[in-house]
Amino acid sequence: MRHLEPRIRAAINGENGEAEKAGTRRCLMNRRQFLLTGGIATAVVMVGVPGLAAAQTPAAVATYPRKLIARLSDLRVDEPFDFEYPDEGEYAESILVKLGREAGGGIGPDNDVVAFNYTCTHQGGPLQGTYQAADKALGPCPLHLTTFDLTRHGIFISGQAYQSLPQVLLELEGDEIYAVGMFGLIYGRFDNLQG
Amino acid sequence: MSTPYYVPETAVPLPPPDADVISTACDYCIVACGYKVYRWPVAGGKVGGPRAAENAFGEDFPVAPLGAWVAPNQHNIVLHNGEPHHVVIIPDKDTEFVNYSGNSSIRGGAIAQKVYNPQTPTRDRLKSPMVRMFGVLMPVTWDFALDIAAEVGNYVLEKHGTNAYGVKTFSYGYMENTYAITKYALRHVRTANFTFHDTPSDVTSTPGFRDAGFDNFGPSYDDWADAETLLMCGTDPYESKTILFTDFIMPAIQNGQKAIFLLPRRTGGVAYAEKNGGLLLDIQPGTDLPVVLAIARVIVENGWEDAEWIRKWVNNKWESSSGFGQGTRNTPWQWRTTWGKFQTKGFEDWKAWLLKQDYARPEVAAEMAQIDVRKIHTAAEWMAKPRADGTRPKTSIMIEKGFYWSNNTGNTQAISSLGIVCGAGGRPGQVIGRAGGHQRGGLRGGGYPRNKSPEKLPGRRRRAMDTDRYLMSGHTRLAHVIGTTWVQAMCGSQSLQAKFDELTTRNPHQVMSFEKQDIVDTLKRRVDSGGMVVWNQDIYLVDPIGARYADIVFPASGWGEDTFTRANGERRLRLYPKFYDAPGDARPDWWIIARLARKMGFDGFDWRNSNDVLEEGARHSRGSRKDFNMVLVAARREGKTLHEKFAEFGTNGIQGPVLMDADGNLVETKRLHDVNRVLPAEGPRGANVFNKKLTHFNSQTGKCNIQKAPWDLFASYWEWLKPREGEIWISSGRINERWQSGYDDRRRPYIVQRWPENWIELHPTVAAARGIESGDYVQVYSDRIPVQKDTIVGVEGSDFDFAALLRNGHIELTRASITAVAIVTPAVKENLGYMDFLHTAQPANALAGRVVDWISGNYNYKMGVGKVRKMGESPYKTQFRSMSFARRDIA
Repeated sequence: MRHLEPRIRAAINGENGEAEKAGTRRCLMNRRQFLLTGGIATAVVMVGVPGLAAAQTPAAVATYPRKLIARLSDLRVDEPFDFEYPDEGEYAESILVKLGREAGGGIGPDNDVVAFNYTCTHQGGPLQGTYQAADKALGPCPLHLTTFDLTRHGIFISGQAYQSLPQVLLELEGDEIYAVGMFGLIYGRFDNLQG
Repeated sequence: MSTPYYVPETAVPLPPPDADVISTACDYCIVACGYKVYRWPVAGGKVGGPRAAENAFGEDFPVAPLGAWVAPNQHNIVLHNGEPHHVVIIPDKDTEFVNYSGNSSIRGGAIAQKVYNPQTPTRDRLKSPMVRMFGVLMPVTWDFALDIAAEVGNYVLEKHGTNAYGVKTFSYGYMENTYAITKYALRHVRTANFTFHDTPSDVTSTPGFRDAGFDNFGPSYDDWADAETLLMCGTDPYESKTILFTDFIMPAIQNGQKAIFLLPRRTGGVAYAEKNGGLLLDIQPGTDLPVVLAIARVIVENGWEDAEWIRKWVNNKWESSSGFGQGTRNTPWQWRTTWGKFQTKGFEDWKAWLLKQDYARPEVAAEMAQIDVRKIHTAAEWMAKPRADGTRPKTSIMIEKGFYWSNNTGNTQAISSLGIVCGAGGRPGQVIGRAGGHQRGGLRGGGYPRNKSPEKLPGRRRRAMDTDRYLMSGHTRLAHVIGTTWVQAMCGSQSLQAKFDELTTRNPHQVMSFEKQDIVDTLKRRVDSGGMVVWNQDIYLVDPIGARYADIVFPASGWGEDTFTRANGERRLRLYPKFYDAPGDARPDWWIIARLARKMGFDGFDWRNSNDVLEEGARHSRGSRKDFNMVLVAARREGKTLHEKFAEFGTNGIQGPVLMDADGNLVETKRLHDVNRVLPAEGPRGANVFNKKLTHFNSQTGKCNIQKAPWDLFASYWEWLKPREGEIWISSGRINERWQSGYDDRRRPYIVQRWPENWIELHPTVAAARGIESGDYVQVYSDRIPVQKDTIVGVEGSDFDFAALLRNGHIELTRASITAVAIVTPAVKENLGYMDFLHTAQPANALAGRVVDWISGNYNYKMGVGKVRKMGESPYKTQFRSMSFARRDIA
């Protein structure tokens, strides 16, 4: 990593406010998200985070939590909504978006509501803030320019990702959208549920 | 909810701390990123854990961006010494060169999926030799197959002559293999019916570079990054040599490098450059030459040329004529540099010629290329206009196949002259060269017997045999095909395939016996009847060369299955060690060749292992761009094998040509033509070779030849070819996510999901006029694919010009049709359809004319025309499981 472009390094590491400008790393929990998660008993799975003492690392669970993340009636076409899944650990940040176009794995009356993990499955670049409404895509990744097609299960459009962008599986119950599982391994982790 | 067709894994085993770690490099593109293989036994169920102390990376999980993450596609299970082992293969996070950030492309990133595992689609690897009996390829023993091959081979050589034995081989499948193959074909069989996977004739790929004195791979990767202006012709490195772009050019663009692309199509790297102030010269196919010369014209009209460089490094006429082997002798290339069509008296003479060419006027060139003329002026300013303080921009020029396979001789002559006037060549950040396609694994074990070739251009100029035309004429009686598809990889592939059918499967002499002698006798009868027999060495059964035409199939082993050596695009030599067992009875190509050669009675094929082959071949590398002979000298001094010595360099490798200094240290070569490099005044000691190109250029004087690039050598072909009513250009090239014929990618569900079959990018106006939408199946077809059919002796200077060939009846018009899935995108030039270059079932080359560049003997693969019509809808149009029709140039 001798010659890594300083701006990319900053975008990753959050130096000099670059991360905030790029919309990377921790997304701020907005009010709606707070309200949604506040009263819901979700099966939170803590993960081992570098730097934490081993004693704080909880045991793994075998199944994905069922987590309420939004109300369908609150979603507007091409307005992404950020949430975390399957836990609040590293790389859990995800996008929920109503594409306005039918999509693989899409829910709702138009089969157009989908959710994906935000971390590029190439080298872990942050895809927050890169939603492309015209193309229903995420990217290009600031690290190496990969783009992903959100209508087609997160397959890469162009680029270097080692697998499709992990898709968060959704269920609709009345007006409530639940995240219930994932397809694909989240960048940085060796197991989606163990970090 | 719907389920994706390809369901990716959601967990991956981590290597434990005691896993074996093997350093290697990627098998695919020219860049050859460094990789590490982590290997540990399946038995015992041991896997690593998420704490740094619990895994072989010494990293806590989750890892940071650019960290040692393992995607499920980077894990596999192999046999090692007969026992199942896990392997995790990820880009080397510790390497200092090439992929120094631990990065990789999607191709190499998923290389773990390449290795044989019968639970994956690699299960159809060839595992035993096969002989076709009763129309079926039947598994046999090595001795059974080789006895037949040796007896029939010797029979062909004795009865029909050495040129009846054709060898068509990969040029890069590791030096151990290419040395054995060329030693066999060129030193022992001595056939002129020999060529490599990507050309019908064994000739230089870049004649203009050859004439100017430029090595194809002189630059170092740091030079591309250090350029202040970089002109990239006929390639988007992001799409085909990814790390060269993402880890060298992309950071340079961020730091102000002015990137100029000369391409008919906008891809990811182009879009990135444009977003950051770069320029796309979006020409229509085949018009590179006038645009390049127009840029040069703007430069010299403004006096922006690098006068000091030109004074010091450009030949005058006496100098370019000087030296042994020049002139119209029977030489492969020197005649061009003394032929009035190309030769100049020096810079002023070249300039005077340039200013007289109407097509080199910016307005005319822009009209021919259908681009905005202002782009020509901008490019000229960026490349050569001195700054206010008088300093010059550091300008480099990179070319690749989209450029040199459009007008092979003309384009490479034109770009060489542009490079010279910009001062490119041999200084940091000021270089000219190829970006490269495949890695450089050639090592010559014999010289090409040019005098045995029937090809003769006017003026006693003999050229290497056109092996396709020779086969079409029925002279090839035995085709020995090694690691190449041959048919679909050449131009006008459908009529070529028809000839293969006629000579093999439709010949009456087919093997209808299981007796060895009956088989031999039948194949001899086929050969005598004017038919052809086919031996095929490969890792998979290729259709049609193996599946339909081969009489004998030899199963080859490859990457990771034996220990090999190869160089990358900056001449960096690395060891690719064996780390698992090849499937079944598959053997490395050097072993197959050695066994066959011994059975045929040839001496000198008694190697015990691949290291023996390389040690024998080392002296044949002397003076070449990847000269590693001194590495062998060092190894012997230290009591090591050559492979052991190479292993010490790990993924960093060693950059050739390798010299040894007076103290016995190995000395690398950062760039060729390095005019600032000072070599020891006393000359080379011991076994060292100081080739002229270390510090000078490849000409008699060591200076550059600045040559004319006349459009008229190509104009008659281009004018005849260019789209007529209802037609568009049909061109092809690489797509980032597939490598070569897709032999591995076709067996990766992830890549198959993205690119299930061939496709064609069409401009919205072309698509709308034909009622075509993204996802429709289309037919791409033509009834005027020109095929050059006769081997004639050239007498008059224009005998091989396309118009003369046509007039004299040497061109046959053939028909072809392929299918593809339409992708409608404004990213392509309006009158262009662009396809993947080598889908074996839907080969774009079927639409490219089988007419060689008449000066060089190469095909202009990128030049095709055809019509497009809708057939109906493909399943991908409405399903979400496969493909994507989103534009690839999102920036």
